[in-house]
Amino acid sequence: MGNILEIKNLVVNFYTYEGVVKALNDVSFSVDHGSTFGLVGESGCGKSVTARAIMRIIQEPGRIESGQVILYPETVDGNGSVDLLKQSEAYMEDLRGNQISMIFQEPNAALNPIMSIGDQVAESFLFHQKQILCETILSELSDGQHRPSKAVLMCLKTIYGKAADDGDSFFFKLLGSVPFLRNWDRRLKSVAIRRAVSLIGKLGIPQPERIVNLYPHNLSGGMKQRIVIAIGLASNPLLLIADEATSNLDVTIQAQILELLKILKKDGISSILLITHDLGVVAETCDRVGVMYAGNICEIADVREVFEAPLHPYTRALLKSVPKINQDDRLASIPGNVPNLVNPPSGCRFHPRCMAALPICRHEAPALVNAHGRHLVACHNSSVA
Amino acid sequence: MATFIVRRLLLMGLVLFGVSVLMFCILLTFSPERRAAAFVTSPQQARDIPKIIIQYGLDQPVYIQYYRWVKEISAGNFGYSTVAVSPVSEAFMRYLPITIEMNLFSTPLIIIIGIWLGTQAGIHKDKAIDQVTRIFAIIGWSLPTFLFALLLLMIFYGLFKLFPPGVLSNSVEMFIMNNPEQFIRYTGMYVVDGILNGRLDISLDALRHLVLPVVTQVTVVIAILVRVMRSSMIEEMSKDYIITARAKGADRKTTCFKHARKNALLPAVTVAGWLVALSIEGSVTVEVIFNRPGMGQWLVQSATQLDIPVILSVCMFLGLIYVTTNLIIDVLYAYIDPRIQLS
Amino acid sequence: MNLSRNPRIREFKFTLSRIFSNPSAIIGSLLLLFFVTVAVLAPVIAPPKNHRNPYIIPHKGYSSVPKPPNKENIFGTTAGQYDIFYGAVWGTRTAFRIGIIVVAIAFVLGAGMGTVAGYYGGAVDETIMRVVDVFFAIPFLVLTMAIVVAFGRGLDNIIVALTLVVWRRYARVMRAGVLTVRDQEYVQAAKTIGVSDTKIMLRHILPNAVFPVMVIAFMDVGSMVITAAFLSFVGLGAARGYADWGQMVALARNYIVGPADDPLRYWYTIVFPGGCIILFVLAWNLFGDALRDAFDPKMRRR
Repeated sequence: MGNILEIKNLVVNFYTYEGVVKALNDVSFSVDHGSTFGLVGESGCGKSVTARAIMRIIQEPGRIESGQVILYPETVDGNGSVDLLKQSEAYMEDLRGNQISMIFQEPNAALNPIMSIGDQVAESFLFHQKQILCETILSELSDGQHRPSKAVLMCLKTIYGKAADDGDSFFFKLLGSVPFLRNWDRRLKSVAIRRAVSLIGKLGIPQPERIVNLYPHNLSGGMKQRIVIAIGLASNPLLLIADEATSNLDVTIQAQILELLKILKKDGISSILLITHDLGVVAETCDRVGVMYAGNICEIADVREVFEAPLHPYTRALLKSVPKINQDDRLASIPGNVPNLVNPPSGCRFHPRCMAALPICRHEAPALVNAHGRHLVACHNSSVA
Repeated sequence: MATFIVRRLLLMGLVLFGVSVLMFCILLTFSPERRAAAFVTSPQQARDIPKIIIQYGLDQPVYIQYYRWVKEISAGNFGYSTVAVSPVSEAFMRYLPITIEMNLFSTPLIIIIGIWLGTQAGIHKDKAIDQVTRIFAIIGWSLPTFLFALLLLMIFYGLFKLFPPGVLSNSVEMFIMNNPEQFIRYTGMYVVDGILNGRLDISLDALRHLVLPVVTQVTVVIAILVRVMRSSMIEEMSKDYIITARAKGADRKTTCFKHARKNALLPAVTVAGWLVALSIEGSVTVEVIFNRPGMGQWLVQSATQLDIPVILSVCMFLGLIYVTTNLIIDVLYAYIDPRIQLS
Repeated sequence: MNLSRNPRIREFKFTLSRIFSNPSAIIGSLLLLFFVTVAVLAPVIAPPKNHRNPYIIPHKGYSSVPKPPNKENIFGTTAGQYDIFYGAVWGTRTAFRIGIIVVAIAFVLGAGMGTVAGYYGGAVDETIMRVVDVFFAIPFLVLTMAIVVAFGRGLDNIIVALTLVVWRRYARVMRAGVLTVRDQEYVQAAKTIGVSDTKIMLRHILPNAVFPVMVIAFMDVGSMVITAAFLSFVGLGAARGYADWGQMVALARNYIVGPADDPLRYWYTIVFPGGCIILFVLAWNLFGDALRDAFDPKMRRR
């Protein structure tokens, strides 16, 4: 089983008024084909930044300084690899939502409040599947159910035939700037909406025909999250990044959404990168886990390993702070605060809060090394168990 | 929807009632002799002021006076203007087109340029275009309108002899005065009338006189729209749905214009009422400086010559305009923002 | 207690550093400092000739043709031979008097009304805000002009009229701010432990809602001077020969365009008083703009 995504030495900084926030400091990990990779850590440790850096949608004032994000799109050619950080913006636009897509933390904010649900889902089809849409229209036109006059038919056939070949050509740019003719793509939109309806229906939302005409404020949080997922799934991506996709939902809806993700993974999406702070979610859904702290990866291992034999002191502390049903004594917490990333601690960024800190931790950052099997850890003192 | 409009109409009536009371308070500060002018309709009547004082009960209790005044106004009798030497309602018809004409040119420019500049400044925050816009905006609202207009006049009329003040050149004006049958004033707006009469030269002449007033008006009013548009654009661009759109694969143009700008326009609509008020104030100043015989100049002349009926009726009229535009804005807002349901 | 650790003081320091990292604030405050100095030192810079009323600009002769800058009148003279330099210097005092008095009174009036309306809500709110609506229905300049006409022309009446009109905006902005603060937990907490309404308004609500109004008020000082200048310009304000920039521009009105061979001959009649108005307004606006950026929570941390 090979990788689908490999991240090497990713460094991201945010240039804010207070100073340079070193949000990601040399992050490396890889996601296997067909697996679910969980990225866990406290809020503010750089999980979302990692996700956004992969898609290159980090907002001002953030900047990707160095590193590699390598995608292995099996479908393109056998063992081709693409370093996303080296590609043009146009390439990325084509890739986003198509090969990699993302679902977001806050369904209330992730949807455009003044655009109808249908339009928002249909946008994905319009961006990436124009050709398929045009072919659908062409076949419908030759079906001859509702036949317009011959001349109009000819015209439409030419236009959509052309669009199926190359929808971004100069001809269509010209067409798009002429009033009235600008509406040539109305059929395209209606086909896209029809596809949106069927997609939304597949995600278990009742009455999808009605839903597409509504606006985000008409829907409940769980519904909105399903819509966000629908947007992410529109073009059957190779990799789905779920950025805290369930964190802000009620527990019951959270369970439904996770179940949905599991089913979806079974029938299509090859891999999921699941970003969460909830270890329960990780245990339930992931194959492999990466633990992040303050912009660094501490530990990467298979999910059983992480829960049963964690090597990094931070992972251990994190696991101790999860409440268990048969627990009687007080819940353990990690002393101290998440460091300010403008002035991160020297050496290992965890050392001020670490129970097992050695003198060396103070001035030398530990490298991520293979401890045993496929268990990677970044700690000078990982032997302490 | 219907109940919303009815409620707003009731509120409108309340505000207009308040405006009339306010205006009446202003009227009360004058002596009965001066107040009488608000009721006469012709110069002949103006000579018989004492008669009018008795006829309209100007020596009677305040509420009776108010009742009679409102009755006169709602009957369409706004009094006699000594500045215009005609009844106020007639003078209105003469002065209003001049003001409307100027605003017909400036308003679309303000809206189009303002939204465009604000959007660009918001998208390219802290880049060159943003800095330039910012400087222009600060100048636009620091420069007193009347001084800006005077400076323009100094440079483009005094120095370059390009754009003269007034509404028409003297020769054209003489021609129209001497040949009223050849130039029929359908609308009272010279540019439009010139076209309707087939006299494009007159239209062009009127246009030439409109350049400086329109430039002044646009510069002064546009600042606020640019600022609001810029900041709301910046705010929308940082929202999560923009990330969603980009993650969907939307290009820069689509995210900026289809997603962000549509949302950013909503706050801009709410300052429309403010823009209307600024445009009215701008018209007053511009007409005084460029010597355009419109409502604004008439109002200022009436103020300096204590032509009270004009001040009162113009204020009432502007109040009506303001309240109506606000109603339209509210309905428009509800129409473009699906989150607001009028019920 | 260590002062530098007090969050309020730290926040205030941050605000100050935020304001003065903005170049427009530096220019604005330097300009303001300059105008304050001129206003304070007016009797030294331009010793008054008429000691009973130093605001009367001295003039030699009655010729209506302005004289260009010379040794005696370094800025030249206007129509009627009024000394432009003297007028510009003493006009600074007039400008401060108009701006500060109007804004200070209107601020107290408007912010007070807005707080009361927002805090009590219900009928009180409804009444006050409908009155504000009425005042809002007529454009600022027009309503001010109408009130000046009612009270009679003159600078003092302009100040009264401006005050009576400009409070409306403070009331509206203040009310909006109070409404958002009113339902915060700490206000509810103060209410539950029985703090009196007046005390809640003064201690908890005002300090947290007053900044937007203060920024507007700050920038309005300039606008007040503009409006007063325009009213003086059209002849509703200061009398001829009074040290008021607007009135001085009015004296220049017939000399904006000079004779055909030298159209800009009388430039000094408008450039000096006009420049004073522009710089004065610019000073308040630049500083106010920086204040707004510094206090705006959305812009603050960028």
